[in-house]
Amino acid sequence: MKQGKEQVILMSQGTPLQRSMVQDAANRWWWPTIMMFGPHDHDSPNSPVLIRWGIKTKTNDQLRQDFVNQVAPEVLELGLSLPDPSLHYDQASGNWLTGPIDWDEFWRVVKGDGPCNAERIAARRKAHADGEWVREALAAYAERQATA
Amino acid sequence: MRDTQWPRFQVFHQEQPDGPHTNVGAVHAPDAELALQNARDVFVRRPDCFSLWVVPADQIFSLTAEEIEHPGPPPAPKGNGDPQRYQVFIKRTQAGSHEHVGAVSAESEPAAMGEAVRSFGTVDALVWWVVPENRIGRTGAADVGSFFGPAKDKPYRDQAFYHTTTLMRQIRGRPKQ
Repeated sequence: MKQGKEQVILMSQGTPLQRSMVQDAANRWWWPTIMMFGPHDHDSPNSPVLIRWGIKTKTNDQLRQDFVNQVAPEVLELGLSLPDPSLHYDQASGNWLTGPIDWDEFWRVVKGDGPCNAERIAARRKAHADGEWVREALAAYAERQATA
Repeated sequence: MRDTQWPRFQVFHQEQPDGPHTNVGAVHAPDAELALQNARDVFVRRPDCFSLWVVPADQIFSLTAEEIEHPGPPPAPKGNGDPQRYQVFIKRTQAGSHEHVGAVSAESEPAAMGEAVRSFGTVDALVWWVVPENRIGRTGAADVGSFFGPAKDKPYRDQAFYHTTTLMRQIRGRPKQ
């Protein structure tokens, strides 16, 4: 986390090309990053039980809000912008509030829509198939050792 | 064999040179030797590992404290009845992991469990595991370099290495353009 933060800080203070690169990254990754905290609490039916069991300590929305509160003002201080015209500081709650999240996009990504996903799965299947002779050899060796 | 899982091995790692081996997770592997190698790849990414043990999951005889207090019907004894050594692991808290506490000698798994509870019963334990010693795969002196060296030789940077707070302060303190 801090390594990435340092990179963003240094790039934002660098040459015009470096600044445009880090701005491009912010444009592409801001929404996926805040989506990564998962669906809103009212759409996350397992959160209460996960919190009760101590697996989660905060809800998705709490973690997302903490992240936005921490990161959004610093990104803006660096002279970068974020691709959300609704993003603003709310005096009353002390929170940085974002516009609505495009959950259709989130679910398309989660469910593997798109050419990159097809490529990724194909590469995994190929690696698995290409490794079959190795797995067979290891299994045969283990079996022979066990019966020796 | 085509698409089936390999057997599961529970992995124990030692985080201090003279500390106990504690359960850190599980790997699938065709045998103990490869289970150790998989365990190294998965669990030895940090330099704080000095030794690994792997135990085939089906060799773990497990009882909860409740089952020990209120025993059910005795399990069918396995093995040939000859005394052998068993290593004993206990889990003390719900969120904790099984930790190695010592060894006992017994003629069967249930007998080993009884012996374990007698020997180590002063400690609070939630779940007891006993494992036949000869079924535990361990890293040895010859493995130390290849298993644990790479993680120790790699440079690690903790949070303090990145001076993000100072950098942000400098940027804020700069005159506005």
